[in-house]
Amino acid sequence: MELITFISGIIREALAKKIILSIFLFFSLIILFIVFAATNDSVAGMLTFLEASGGNADYRSAVIFFESNITSKIPMFMMIAFYLIIVSSFIPSMLQKGHIDLLLSKPISRTKIVLGHLLAGTAFAFLSSLFLLGTIWIIVSVKTGIWHVPFLYSIVWFTFIFLTLYSFVILIGLLTKNTILNILINLILFFPFSWIFYLLNEVTKKGEQFFSFNAVTEFIIKFFYYILPKPWDLADLCENSIKGESLGSVQPIITSLLFIGIMVSLSIWYFNKKDY
Amino acid sequence: MSVITIDNLKKEYSSRNFSAKKILALDGVSFEIGEGEIFGLLGPNGAGKTTLIKVLLGITFPTSGSGKLFDKDLNDVKTKTRIGYLPENHSFPNYFTGEQVLHHFGKLSGMSSEDVKLKSAEYLNIVGMKEWAKVKIRKYSKGMMQRIGLAQAMINNPDLIFLDEPTDGVDPIGRKEIRDVLLNLKSQGKTIFLNSHLLSETELICDRVAILNKGKLIKEGRVEDITSTDSYAFITSGLTDEVYNSLMNNYKAVIQSRNNFLIPANNLEEVNTIIDFLRSKNIMIQSVSKEKITLESKFINLIEHKL
Ligand SMILES: Nc1ncnc2c1ncn2[C@@H]1O[C@H](COP(=O)(O)OP(=O)(O)OP(=O)(O)O)[C@@H](O)[C@H]1O
Ligand SMILES: [Mg+2]
Repeated sequence: MELITFISGIIREALAKKIILSIFLFFSLIILFIVFAATNDSVAGMLTFLEASGGNADYRSAVIFFESNITSKIPMFMMIAFYLIIVSSFIPSMLQKGHIDLLLSKPISRTKIVLGHLLAGTAFAFLSSLFLLGTIWIIVSVKTGIWHVPFLYSIVWFTFIFLTLYSFVILIGLLTKNTILNILINLILFFPFSWIFYLLNEVTKKGEQFFSFNAVTEFIIKFFYYILPKPWDLADLCENSIKGESLGSVQPIITSLLFIGIMVSLSIWYFNKKDY
Repeated sequence: MSVITIDNLKKEYSSRNFSAKKILALDGVSFEIGEGEIFGLLGPNGAGKTTLIKVLLGITFPTSGSGKLFDKDLNDVKTKTRIGYLPENHSFPNYFTGEQVLHHFGKLSGMSSEDVKLKSAEYLNIVGMKEWAKVKIRKYSKGMMQRIGLAQAMINNPDLIFLDEPTDGVDPIGRKEIRDVLLNLKSQGKTIFLNSHLLSETELICDRVAILNKGKLIKEGRVEDITSTDSYAFITSGLTDEVYNSLMNNYKAVIQSRNNFLIPANNLEEVNTIIDFLRSKNIMIQSVSKEKITLESKFINLIEHKL
């Protein structure tokens, strides 16, 4: 009960700061753009592109290719970065002097407060993605006549990618109590940090024929690769699942879940022992 | 039954800069507060009053020592449904209206939606903020914020209420109203823990007070007992600096204005010694009268002279 009130408090804050309104307007713009972009001409363009690159392409796979581009790495980065910027202020604003004291005097445990933030943020990312990607899917499907349901998996993937990074936003928010610092640290982690290790790891995977690191360097790369969140690997998995291909290695899912678990545990542990 | 029990509570803050120096905000504080009492905690700025409330509410953790609220551990979350709290310099989310503040924090205290609706109207009325219920609190004055804060602290019908400087920024009439609200709560058997600088006010409503200085409890007891020593008010003319200092240092005088001071004394002998002293310095005495010592002058005496 108190947890629900607490979460609704976060949502109200987002409403009051016009966050939800600005997301709605921003996403509506993107959708409008898609309405004009998703014409038969552009699908035909995809088709020629696919044929030129030597696939045995049909109309359906051209639509799917178009859809997988919408959720490819760059749009994914922009969307998730946008979410992260928004949620970065939630924890610092809760920790304001005169407010946190009152909150902690209420019958809601500190652990629940952290979990409340986790839930509220996740719900926020899920609903925003549902709105944006869901609407895009409907528009593309209506325009092309191809209803490719696996595109909707991207909503879950995006929420999951968001969650891995968000768990770190919570921890850094608690540690720094500062929105700007929180945004900076998290965006740098997202890009270029985790991206560099994603690329380096790709090189170590494919490498042997044309390039290889020495053992020590490779160990260091693997070490950072495994402990950092893996939004870029997950974006690959997202693409695979939209195209209906096999996912490939599930390692990024498992290590990301571990990362979330560790970040949330650290946040709960730190918040539970901190004086306010 | 005792509502609050604390035993040898210590709280050490590491100071903000990098020096290893620690700030001892609470230095072995012990006391008990019984059901239905209005307890006033007094002390100069930085004495540790707010820290003590925060420790009791589990907002800050003690370095050592222990405490209990309603015989439960300080970290017990359930107990907090029975508690109301008005923090010092509270800042509610400013996009709320007064009414929404009460709804939000009422529900966080475990009240149902219907209950909260009913009670918020009642308490807005009690603190005189009915007309302001639907106005965003960013438009409130300081005193209005304080009133909403007070309503917030009472809305869940708590058995124990912590108020950190409740009359801060409130006008004299408002202060009187708040006093009446507190006395009314007391008549309902609530226990009230009050932090205040305004001693004349504390004197009017508190059953028992404790004086905290530099983290130590230097005096604790019923208001009547603390103020029971007599004091003599002197009005003089031509007081020199030398005499002034000597009155302060040797006779524990409480200076009210240049030629007007109080001397705590329990017998005439002492009073006459001072008269002799003043006369020997050629100070003219206009009047000497016996007065009941106020909590304020006792307080100043305790803090300045460690009486
Ligand atoms: N978070 C903190 N970190 C470090 N020191 C602190 C912290 N909070 C309080 N202190 C120190 O603890 C001491 C007691 O502070 P506290 O706020 O309890 O005083 P107070 O009696 O409430 O004062 P006031 O009458 O001004 O409200 C002060 O010396 C203060 O500097
Ligand atoms: Mg204080």
